[in-house]
Amino acid sequence: MADDGLAHHRRDPIKSSVGNGAAQRRRQNAVTVGKERRESLVRAKRLCRVGTSGSDSEVSMDNDMMIDEEQSILETQASAAVEELKSAVAYQGKGAMQKRVSALRELRRILSRSEFPPIEAALKAGAISFLVQCLSFGSADEQKICWEIVKLICSGHVILLGILQLLEAAWCLTNIAAGKQEETKALLPALPLLIAHLGEKSSSPVAEQCAWALGNVAGEGEELRNILLSQGALPPLARMMLPNKGSTVRTAAWALSNLIKGPNPTAATELIRVDGVVDAILRHLKKADEELATEVAWVIVYLSALSNVATGILVKSDVLQLLVERLATSNSLQLLIPVLRSLGNLVADKVIEVLGKCLKSEHRVLKKEAAWVLSNIAAGSVEHKQLIYTSKALALLLRLLSTAPFDIRKEVAYVLGNLCVAPTQGDAKPNLIQEHLVSLIGRGCLPGFIDLVRSADPEAARLGLQFMELVLRGMPNGEGPKLVEREDGIDAMERFQFHENEDLRNMANGLVDKYFGEDYGLDVSGE
Amino acid sequence: MAMEITQFLLAAQSADANVRNEAEANIRQLQQQNLPGFLLSLSVELANNEKPAESRRLAGIVLKNSLDAKDASMKEVLVQQWMTIDISFKSQIKDLLLRTLGSPVPEARHTSAQVIAKVASIEIPQKQWPELIRSLLNNMTQPESHAAVKQATLETLGYICEEISHEDLVQDEVNAVLTAVVQGMNLAENSVEVRLAATRALYNALDFAQTNFQNEMERNYIMKMVCETAKSKEVEIRQAAFECLVSIASTYYDVLEPYMQTIFELTSNAVKGDEEAVALQAIEFWSSICDEEIELQEFENPESGDSSPHSHFIEKARSSLVPMLLETLLKQEEDQDQDDSIWNISMAGGTCLGLVARTVGNEIVPIVMPFVEANIVKPDWRCREAATYAFGSILEGPTVEKLAPLVQAGLEFLLNAMQDENNHVKDTTAWTLSRIFELLHCPSSGFSVISPENLQRILAVLLESIKDAPNVAEKVCGAIYYLAQGYEDAGPSSSLLTPYLTSIIAELLRTADRTDGGDSKLRSSAYETLNEVVRCSNITETSQIIAELVPAIMGRLSQTLELQIVSSDDREKQGDLQASLCGVLQVIIQKFSSSDDTKSIILQAADQIMLLFLRVFACRSSTVHEEAMLAIGALAYATGPEFAKYMPEFYQYLQMGLQNSEEYQVCTITVGVVGDICRALDDKILPYCDGIMTLLLSDLSSSQLHRSVKPPIFSCFGDIALAIGEHFEKYVPHALQMMQDASKACAHLDVNDEELMDYGNQLRRSIFEAYSGILQGFKNAKAEVMMPYAQHLLQFIELVFRDRQRDESVTKAAVAVMGDLADALGPNTKILFKDCSFCAEFLGECLQSDDEQLKETAGWTQGMIGRVMVS
Repeated sequence: MADDGLAHHRRDPIKSSVGNGAAQRRRQNAVTVGKERRESLVRAKRLCRVGTSGSDSEVSMDNDMMIDEEQSILETQASAAVEELKSAVAYQGKGAMQKRVSALRELRRILSRSEFPPIEAALKAGAISFLVQCLSFGSADEQKICWEIVKLICSGHVILLGILQLLEAAWCLTNIAAGKQEETKALLPALPLLIAHLGEKSSSPVAEQCAWALGNVAGEGEELRNILLSQGALPPLARMMLPNKGSTVRTAAWALSNLIKGPNPTAATELIRVDGVVDAILRHLKKADEELATEVAWVIVYLSALSNVATGILVKSDVLQLLVERLATSNSLQLLIPVLRSLGNLVADKVIEVLGKCLKSEHRVLKKEAAWVLSNIAAGSVEHKQLIYTSKALALLLRLLSTAPFDIRKEVAYVLGNLCVAPTQGDAKPNLIQEHLVSLIGRGCLPGFIDLVRSADPEAARLGLQFMELVLRGMPNGEGPKLVEREDGIDAMERFQFHENEDLRNMANGLVDKYFGEDYGLDVSGE
Repeated sequence: MAMEITQFLLAAQSADANVRNEAEANIRQLQQQNLPGFLLSLSVELANNEKPAESRRLAGIVLKNSLDAKDASMKEVLVQQWMTIDISFKSQIKDLLLRTLGSPVPEARHTSAQVIAKVASIEIPQKQWPELIRSLLNNMTQPESHAAVKQATLETLGYICEEISHEDLVQDEVNAVLTAVVQGMNLAENSVEVRLAATRALYNALDFAQTNFQNEMERNYIMKMVCETAKSKEVEIRQAAFECLVSIASTYYDVLEPYMQTIFELTSNAVKGDEEAVALQAIEFWSSICDEEIELQEFENPESGDSSPHSHFIEKARSSLVPMLLETLLKQEEDQDQDDSIWNISMAGGTCLGLVARTVGNEIVPIVMPFVEANIVKPDWRCREAATYAFGSILEGPTVEKLAPLVQAGLEFLLNAMQDENNHVKDTTAWTLSRIFELLHCPSSGFSVISPENLQRILAVLLESIKDAPNVAEKVCGAIYYLAQGYEDAGPSSSLLTPYLTSIIAELLRTADRTDGGDSKLRSSAYETLNEVVRCSNITETSQIIAELVPAIMGRLSQTLELQIVSSDDREKQGDLQASLCGVLQVIIQKFSSSDDTKSIILQAADQIMLLFLRVFACRSSTVHEEAMLAIGALAYATGPEFAKYMPEFYQYLQMGLQNSEEYQVCTITVGVVGDICRALDDKILPYCDGIMTLLLSDLSSSQLHRSVKPPIFSCFGDIALAIGEHFEKYVPHALQMMQDASKACAHLDVNDEELMDYGNQLRRSIFEAYSGILQGFKNAKAEVMMPYAQHLLQFIELVFRDRQRDESVTKAAVAVMGDLADALGPNTKILFKDCSFCAEFLGECLQSDDEQLKETAGWTQGMIGRVMVS
C-alpha cells in the first residue's frame, strides 16, 4: 500500500557493477542449454524413425533369416503384388492413386528383400508394362485427381501422392535393373519414360530415382549404353549435375560415369561439351563432401580415359590442381582411387611427386593404385618416362619391387618395364630406352622381374618374360644373357616348357632357344 | 462488544507479550465467531471520534487486512469472504467508512481512505457500490465541506484509481473524478494539503484520462494545471507535479508536442536550482521521453508509417538538453561509489545522458566531447570524474566508426587514469573501460579497440588496479568480464587471451578472497568474472589451466561447510558463497562437457564433486540450494547414465526442491534438473518416476505455487516420457488430464495483459512439448494409449492456430506435435486428419515461413501426415 505517498520512480543507474546481471545471465544460459538439449533429443527421435523405419529395417533383419523355401514364398508374393498393381492400374474410381501407390510400395518392398529379389517372377507376371503405365502419370490422370484434391486434407498432399507414385515405380525399376543382364534388358520399354522424368519439371526425388535406374541399366553393357545415348539420356543427366543438391548430383554423376564408359569416346566428348558441366565438375570437386567428390572423380576418370577432347579441356582447367588437393587432403580410399586414376589419365609432372608420397602410404590399395597411375604415366611419352626416371619415386619403386606384396610388385613392374621402352606404333617389338634399362638393371631390378616369371599369375609372368626379353636383347655388349643366367633366369623360363598357357610357353621357349640355344656358351668360349 | 473490542485493540499493542497474545487470541475469536459483526464493530471503532487514536488505527489495519493480502490466493479467499457478508452489514460498514473521511483526526481519515479503496477494488468491478464515486464527489462540491474532508476524499480517489482499472468506471464518472481532482489542484481555492492530495491523486488518475487527453481543450486544461502546480511554493507539491509529468511522458507521448517548450523550461529550472527530489523527477521526465523514442526507433516499421508518430523531441532539444545534463555530472556526492542504494542527481544525469546517446546516436558526440576534453585534465577531481563519466555514458548509440578514433586516442589516457589520486575517478575510469570493452571490442565481428599490441598493457593495468579499493576492484572485474566476453567465438583471436589466463584467474581468485569488501558484492563480481573468463576461453588451449581450477574451487566450497554458523546472517553469507562457488563449477562442467577430451576431466572428478554438492545440500535444513541444483544438472549431462549411482542419495533433495513452492525459482530450477537427469539416465530413472510424477502433479494442482513453474513442469512430462518410453503409460490418465485442463485455461487468459499473454504462450508451448515427448516416447510401443487423446489434441492445435497472437515458438511446437501424432499413431489417425480441415492451412502457412527451422519441421510433419494418408 502506498502509505508513504507515491512510489518514487527509480531506474537502474547506467553505472552499475557486473555481479548481479552476470549471475542472472549465467543462470539463464544454463536453462537455455537444457532447452536446446531437449529440442535436439526430440529431433533425433523424430528423425530416427525416418532412417530405420519401414522396409529398410525389415530388409536388414530379414536378410539373415532368408532361406530357400522363403525364396519361393517371395516369388509368390511378387506375382501377387504385380496382380495387385495390375488391378490398381485398371481401377479408375475414388482413391485410385492411393491404391496405386500402395500396390507399388508393396512390390518395391518385395523387390528390395533379400540378396536374391524375385525379379524374374515379377517380370513373368508382367510388372514392366504396369510400371510403365504408372510412370506415364500425367495430364489424363490429373483430371480425376482433382476430385481427390478436394477431399484430401493436407496441402501438397496430392502432389505428394503423384510424386510417390512416380517414385515408387522408378524404385521398382531400379531394383529390377540391378538384376541379371536379361532382366535389365526387360526395362527397354521403360527407358524413354525414365529419361523423360529426369527433366527439370520433375521433383528431385523422382529425377534422382530415375537416374539411379538408368545408371543401373547403363552399367550393364555397351549395347544398353548405346540405346540410352540414342534416346537422349545424356543431356538431362548432365544437367542434373549442375546444381548444388548433394544426393541428386551424386546419383547423376554415378549414372553418367556408367553411361560414358565407352569404349566409344563419343559420349564422353558429348558430356564435356554440355554447357556448364566443366564448371559443375570443378565446383563439386572443390566444395563437395567426399562421397560426392568420389562420384565426380569417376566421371573425370572416364572423360580423361576416353576422350581427347575432354582431356584437352580438363587439362586447361583447374581440375589438376583440385585433384591434387583432394589427393593431398583426403584419407578416403574410395575417393583417392578415382582421383589417382584421373591424374594418371591427365598426367602432369607435379603429380609424380605426390604419387611418390602415396607409394609410401600405409594403405596397400593406395600404393597399388599409385603404382598403377605411374605405370600409365610411364606408358606415355618419352618425356613422361624421363620425369619418373629422374624423380624420387624411382628409388621407392625399386625397393617395392623386391619387398612389396605381389599385387603391388606387379604394378611396380609395369612402371619399371614401361620406363625402358619407347612408345611404338602397332605390334612391332618395343624400342628400347637403353639408358634407363642399363641403369635399372644396375640398381638390381632384374631379380624382381625374374620372380614375377616364376609366379602363377600369367599376367605377371608375361610381364616378367617381356622384361627379360628386353634385357636379353637390349643390354649392351651382349651382357643380357649372362645377367639372366646369373639370376637363375633360365631355370625360371624353363618352367614354361610344358606350360598350359600356349602364349607364355611359346614366349619362354622362344627366348631360351634364341639366347640360350646350342650356340650359347660356345660362342663365349669361342672368343 | 464495542467496549470489549476497544480494550482488545489497545491490549494487542501492549508492551507485555502475554497481554498482547491474549488480546490477539480474543480478537481472532471475535473474528471467527461472527465475522460480519466483527468487521462492523471495527468500522464503528474507526469512525468513533471518542475512541483513542491507537485503537482506531489498529481497527483500520485489521479491517484492511480482512480485505486484502499480498498472497494472491489468500487475497482471493478474503474477497470471497467479503462478498458472502450480508448486504446490510456491508452498507453500514461502508457508510461508517465514508463518514470517517470527515473525522478531525488525520490518521483516521487516512486509514479510512485506504480501507475504502480496498472495498472499492472488490465492489466497483462488480458494480456493487455505484454510489461511491457520487458520494465522494459530493464531499468535493459541498460548499460547507472542510479542507480536511476534501483532502481525505482526494486521497481516497487516488487510492481507488490505483486499485481499479479505468474500464471499471463509465466515462461520466471518469470526467467527474478528473474534474474534482484537477480543481483540487487549483492554487487560489485550496489549502496546501488539498493541493498535495489532489496532485498525488492525479498521478494515479492519469491512466483514466485517455479520452480526456484526446480532447484538446481538456488536455490543455490538465496540462496547464500540472505545469502550474510544478511551480508551486511547496516542494512536495512540485515533486508530485513532476511525477505527473513523468507519467504523462510515457502515457501521452504522442500529444506532448505543444507543451514541450514549457516543460523544457520547467525541467531545466528544476535541474539547475530546485531541491534534489524535484530535480531527479525533472531528469526522469527526459529519461522517460528517451525510453519512448528508443522504443519507437527499435520497433520502427517503415511500411506502416501510420502507427505512432516519432516526434524527435530529444533530437530537437539536444543542444540545450545535453549541456544541462552535463552540468549535473559535476554534482557528485563524496561517498556515492561506496553504496549501491544511493541515487543522486549526477547519477540520474549520467543515466539520462546514456539514454540520449542511444536516442540521437552520432549527434551527441560533438556536444559532449568539448566537455570531456575541457574537464578531464582539471585539478578538481569532480571535473575529471564528470568528464570520464560523460565519455563512458555516450559509448552506446553512436556508430563504431564515430567512436573508434576517440576511444583509440583516449585509451592510453584512461589506462593512466587508473592511477589517479582520487577513488571516484578511478572507479568511473574502470567502469568506462568496461563499457569500451563491452561495446567496442568484438573481434568476431572484425572490430576491436584491443589489438595484440596493446592487450598486454591493458591487462597489466587491470590486474594491478584490481588490487585497488573494493569499489574500484569491482568495476575492474567488469572490465575483465567484457574483455573476456569479446573473445567468445572469436576464432584465432581468442588465443590472444590464453597467455594471460593463468594470471587473470589467479588475480580473480585473490580478489574473491578479499575481506575488505564489506558485503559480498566484490566477491560475487569476481566469481562471475571468473565464470565469463572460463566460459569464453579457447578450450583447446586452456583446458589444462581450467582443469587446475577445479580442485581450487572444490577446496573453497568444502571450506564453506566448516564455517561456523551462529546467526541467520552467517547462514546467509555461507549460502551466498556457496552460490558463487557452485556457479563456477557449473560453468566449468558445462564448458568441459562440450568435447570428449575435456569431459574426461569432469568424469574423473565427478564422484568428489557430487559428494560436495550433497554436503552443500545437507548443511541446510529445509531449503535446497538452487545454484548447487543447477550445477548438478550440468554434471548429469556430463556423466550420462553413470549419474544413476548418485540418485539414491540425491533423490531426497530433488524431492525437496520440487516441494519448495515458496521459493518458486528453486522449484523451477529443480524441475529443469529433472529434465537433465532424464536425458542423462534414460530408463534408469524409472525407479524414481512414481515419486517425481506425484510431486509434479501435486505442484500443478497447487494454487499456492507461482504460475511460472507450470510450463516447465509440462515440458518435464515430455522429458520423462522420452526417457522411460512405454512405462509412461500409468501416468497418462493423470498427466493428460492436467494437460487438457491447462489447454482449456489457455483460452481464458486476458488478451490485453501482455505478461499474461506471454505466460499463455509459454504454457501452450510446454503442453505441446509434453505431447511431443509422450508421443515420441510411445512410438515404438503402446502408442495406442494416446489414441483417445488425439482428437482433443487436434482441437487444441486448431485453437492455437486460430489465435493470431500466437508466438513463433508456439507455432513451431504445434506443427511439430501434429507430425508426432501422425508419426506415433500412424494409420489410426487417418480419419482424424481427413476430418481436420485446418491442417492444410496451418502447414501451408508454416511452409511459407522465412524461418528455416519452422519450414523444415513443417516439411517433416507434412511427410508424416502424407505417410498416414497413403497407408
